[in-house]
Amino acid sequence: MPQYDVLVIGGGASGLRAAIAAKRAGASVAVLSKVHPLRTNSALSPGGLNAPLGNDDSAEKFAQDIRNAGDGLCDTEAVNILAADAAREVVWLERVGVPFNRNAEGRIDCRPLGSSSVSRAAYADDRTGHMVLHVLHEQFQREDIPCFAERFVTSLIQDGGVCTGAVALGHRSGQLETFGAGAVILATGGATQLYRPCTSAVGTTGDGLMLAHDLGVGLVDLEMVQFHPTVYSAARTALISEAALGAGAKLVNAAGDKLVNAGGLSRAQLAAEVHKAGQNGGGPVSLDLRPVDNLASRFPAAAEVVRLMAGIDITKDPVPVQPVAHRPMGGIEANAAGETSVAGLYAVGECAHNGLNGAGRLPGNTLTEAVVFGRRVGEAAAAHAKSAGAADAGGSQAAQDGERLAEITSGGTSGDTIGAVHRELGELMNANLGVSRTDAGLAEAQDKIRALRERHAALRVNNKSRIYNYALAGYIELGNLLKLAEATALAARGRAESRGAHLRSDHPEKDDSNWKAHTVVRSQDGSPKLDTRAVSA
Amino acid sequence: MEVTYKVHRKDPENGGESSYSTYQVELPEDATVLDGLQKIRDEQDDTLAFRASCCQGSCGECAVRINYKAQFTCTTRIGDVTKKAPEILLDPVRNIPVIKDLVFDMDRFTWNKMAAMKPWMEPDDEFAPTENLVPESEMADVRKTMSCHACSLCDEGCAVLPVNFDFLGPAAMVKGYRFVMDPRETGAKMEARMKVVEQPQGLWDCVHCYEADGKCPRGLTPSSKIMEIRDVAFKEGIKHEKVGRHHASFINSVKQTGWLDERKLVMETEGMTNVTGLMKLLPTAVRALRRGKMPGRHEKRPGADQIKRILEKAEDSK
Repeated sequence: MPQYDVLVIGGGASGLRAAIAAKRAGASVAVLSKVHPLRTNSALSPGGLNAPLGNDDSAEKFAQDIRNAGDGLCDTEAVNILAADAAREVVWLERVGVPFNRNAEGRIDCRPLGSSSVSRAAYADDRTGHMVLHVLHEQFQREDIPCFAERFVTSLIQDGGVCTGAVALGHRSGQLETFGAGAVILATGGATQLYRPCTSAVGTTGDGLMLAHDLGVGLVDLEMVQFHPTVYSAARTALISEAALGAGAKLVNAAGDKLVNAGGLSRAQLAAEVHKAGQNGGGPVSLDLRPVDNLASRFPAAAEVVRLMAGIDITKDPVPVQPVAHRPMGGIEANAAGETSVAGLYAVGECAHNGLNGAGRLPGNTLTEAVVFGRRVGEAAAAHAKSAGAADAGGSQAAQDGERLAEITSGGTSGDTIGAVHRELGELMNANLGVSRTDAGLAEAQDKIRALRERHAALRVNNKSRIYNYALAGYIELGNLLKLAEATALAARGRAESRGAHLRSDHPEKDDSNWKAHTVVRSQDGSPKLDTRAVSA
Repeated sequence: MEVTYKVHRKDPENGGESSYSTYQVELPEDATVLDGLQKIRDEQDDTLAFRASCCQGSCGECAVRINYKAQFTCTTRIGDVTKKAPEILLDPVRNIPVIKDLVFDMDRFTWNKMAAMKPWMEPDDEFAPTENLVPESEMADVRKTMSCHACSLCDEGCAVLPVNFDFLGPAAMVKGYRFVMDPRETGAKMEARMKVVEQPQGLWDCVHCYEADGKCPRGLTPSSKIMEIRDVAFKEGIKHEKVGRHHASFINSVKQTGWLDERKLVMETEGMTNVTGLMKLLPTAVRALRRGKMPGRHEKRPGADQIKRILEKAEDSK
């Protein structure tokens, strides 16, 4: 059985950064990833990554902006770490190859993004995530770290309350493989596939959240889901970086009038404005990019994706947009070092909740979070693995998982399909846990999710092969999404107030006396239980 | 509309022979080819293997051949295919070993070949407190090049790979170009980089057919980039020994006589002391001689001095 000090699950920006840091801290490291690292969702992040690089900026200003966006739910330690470390990490990224756009002095140019008080987002055209991911993958190869790509993790291994490894199905080998580890880092990304439509890659199915949840780790603030305000969405979606608004693009209503002054609004407020304008026969809201100087060269990715997905030339016509589910703020309960309640298990990046993002993430923080905390969590896991020593992951979990896979692939079901259940879940989440929510809608969602879970439980996969059996993987992913949906609806129903991304039309006010707190969902006797935890000052 | 999909199948657990499966799928006209594949897997045949990730033309994961043209399933509309052909024919991209159905071996293909470029920077001042100062004008081309999806579509179009699988291919060379042209790699780093790019099966094995230039979904013109790297090599000094000898012999011959002495070129390229290499060429020389293709005496041509001056002027201007 392959044995490593640190096993990173997830090959996106957070996972690669963590792996590089752990290796440099002297640990033996391997990465498991569902897809090749360059195919992960990190590549889709367009706008930029925040760092206080400008003369008019400081870590303090940055921290204040994060707290403002987080609307009372940010934990101070994570905010201060990000604000303090961001510049160093971004400069490192530049030094190792990210081709950031430059200002007149040849320094990294920063542009305005979202509700930041100064121009703070370092960027590489509107392909920042792609460039950062590719450069991290370059540095990952430089460290000669083994990469087990196209491995679908089926279980974490736990021994006496300590996480000692993982079991993964190799798509290519068709085998269940056991990986032993002194520390396991979950860097599995988000769960935006809960929603239909959504802006994220097909693999964002919350697998890491459910792996942790199954070991009894809490899931925090799941109800906080950021909707991106400028997304084309019809049969397909195409996200346009919000940086376009800072560069002069305008949101206009059906009559062509400017909808809102975007400057200073949080992403949640902007999404709510666009949502509201599109309601009650308000007609489509459009993003008019034509006022942006040198549009095609400054926003090549937006031009490309809108042309490909919508057939619209952004230099000629406005693009109909709507808020679309984009990025969860909630996730696996972890501290700033990535530690969870299970010894040896760490979480970082979009799958994790370390208190940074509160009730609303500051646009431009996803990639910064990935590299700043990726490094710290990689180092923490390496240190833990050294002190913990090698643990025996055993082989019994793989045998158990083998039986589970055999059961899933034990024959056909007629009529119902994985795709149908997933589609209905996504539409339900969008309608009842979308930009605006009500108690009645959430109660209805809980009932319907329960029914969808029953349908999922009755489904079976015909394909008995284990080699590139994407139906089998899809079945497990959908199971993860359904459990996560159930927990999300529970948290959203519990939080009887409006705050950040959680807008309750039946409780339109913020309620600091009762709800300046995190929701925490834990698995108890197989079902989710809601609890709360104080925000740490 | 009802659409016919004809999809390449290969089952590695069942003989591994290639065949096709045909499916009838009901889809809206503006659906993508990927939408149809997903529907087939969900409703008709869950054994069908194909890759996809971002579903918006950004990641490069879903490259296949659609009616003989390599492209992404997630950005190709079925209506655009069916207006030209009665069915949607899907094959794995060419030049790559196929594992299952439409899933091919990216490890042996693009990933390993790109890794052979040692595609990373090792800056001496990696942890400097501030960034490199670089003019935007020098960064823009590097950035555009780095928008490469690593999708393999340029390798799919390559004319060399079908006859020499070990050729690193255009995608790897684009990766090399990104470093060669990066203003942040200079001096000894640049020297080392050129050695890597000029490794055997690398820069000099491209036959400049320019096929790859038309294949990139982002318009990156890989073939032209290979030629640009060659220009850099000419300026910086060719690191590949044999190619260096070939180049020097070519130039000397033309300078001295106004035309190319092919016999000398062959011998000097191989190396005059390389007896094994020269012996290998002997049968070719004999055949050429028999067919009257071996030139006789190589004498200075009229106008040779003028040709020499032109060459020297060109050398000065580089």
